[in-house]
Amino acid sequence: MIIDWYTVIFQIINFMILVFLLRRFLYGPVIRAMDEREQKIVQREEDAAEKKDEAEQEARSYRRKTEELAEREKEMFEKARAEAEKEKRELLDQAREEVDESRRRWKDSFEREKKTFIAELRRRIGRQALVVARRCLQDLADARLEELTWNLFLKKLANLPDQELAELKKALQAEGNNITIRSAFQAGSGQVEELKKNLGELVSVPQGELNLQTATDPGLICGLELDAGGYRVAWNIDSYLEDLEEQVLQELEQDISGGEESQAEEVSGDGQPEA
Amino acid sequence: MTINPDEIILFEWGWFKINSTIAFTWLVIFLLTFGSWLVTRRLSSAGKLSRWQNLLEVLVNGIKVQIREVSRQEPGPYLPFVGTLFIFIATANVLAIVPGYVPPTGSLSTTAALAICVFIAVPVFGIASQGVLSYLKQYLQPTFFMLPFNLIGELSRTLALAVRLYGNMMSGTIIVAILLTITPLVFPVIMQALGLLTGLIQAYIFAILAMVYIASASRAHEEIAKKGEE
Repeated sequence: MIIDWYTVIFQIINFMILVFLLRRFLYGPVIRAMDEREQKIVQREEDAAEKKDEAEQEARSYRRKTEELAEREKEMFEKARAEAEKEKRELLDQAREEVDESRRRWKDSFEREKKTFIAELRRRIGRQALVVARRCLQDLADARLEELTWNLFLKKLANLPDQELAELKKALQAEGNNITIRSAFQAGSGQVEELKKNLGELVSVPQGELNLQTATDPGLICGLELDAGGYRVAWNIDSYLEDLEEQVLQELEQDISGGEESQAEEVSGDGQPEA
Repeated sequence: MTINPDEIILFEWGWFKINSTIAFTWLVIFLLTFGSWLVTRRLSSAGKLSRWQNLLEVLVNGIKVQIREVSRQEPGPYLPFVGTLFIFIATANVLAIVPGYVPPTGSLSTTAALAICVFIAVPVFGIASQGVLSYLKQYLQPTFFMLPFNLIGELSRTLALAVRLYGNMMSGTIIVAILLTITPLVFPVIMQALGLLTGLIQAYIFAILAMVYIASASRAHEEIAKKGEE
């Protein structure tokens, strides 16, 4: 018999012991170690995944922050530029306004001065024109002109309106027929006689009763003045000139206030009196 | 020349005797246990592995994978038994390369002992996984009349298991012995190498067959099988 049952039983026991020993010293520890390692690897992978997630999140947040910063920077830059632009515009406006203001002020004062100057000029020109006219007429006035003047005066006297004539009469009566005739030059006797005759006819007073006195007044500028007490009949250029001066000055004032310039020439042109 | 290592008695005291089979089995047990202890007392679960730990891990993992593939079940409960079968037989066979060593697996007593262990383990695992009734019902499949054949099959495959391993190992030893007398040089070395291969294959076959028997007895647990696919 090749099977020795004694050995068989022994071997069965041996095998059982071996199973126990290997389980105790081999499978148990090795499997435990492997499981632990697996666990650790899984753990590590989980950790890694977690860290990766964290890192990605961090990276995302940093990226977002960077973008925000860039955005803010751009915004600030834009704002600063807009402000600078606005400031510049304001300063420019202010400067322009100041320039405008000073220019206007300068222009105003210039205008004012110009006006004053022109007004003064006009006034002087007007006066000067009158002076010239007056002198011219004075120079022109002589005996012959005096004769013409006498004639004109006599004509005026003859054409005296009725109302004035009545006043003249009344004045003569009140003065006792005393009458004074003033002229620029010494009047001729013929002329006086003629006046006496005409006047007598006019006021219905005989020639002998009329007490006519003559006087010279160079300021009359070829004119005559009849003075019968309170009543006066006159014809002379001076009165025209005075009228003219008054009129010219009035117009000049109007021109100055109206700001017209071309009137000055017209005024000087109108300065010639009409005899 | 003795064919049967059981007959080489090394120590005898009354009925108690130590033959070479038992002695070399103890040697194998000691080597395996001591080696495992040496390696596993300093296991690292992280960082660098010692090459011995790596070897053991490869071995254990390999066995686990094989069990899972054959049984389609989670290898946990079967690993110590099936793994030890493989490791013991493989070590016992591989050590045959050492001069003076007589492989215990070359003794029909040893192989019979291992086969008996499998013979007992099959119903133990079967009952543990699906209960006594459910397990016993398997012998009545497909009909009641198949019971004798099932029983015979159970016995005969155990016998075949024992004889296959014994025959292979014994023949290997004997062939080398015979060849040494005919062609003392070179050729026995080749046969030795072939013997190593045969020994490993036999260890693998024995373990796998044991696993197949056990798995077929506990086939009912299909949900574990599915889990085992992972």
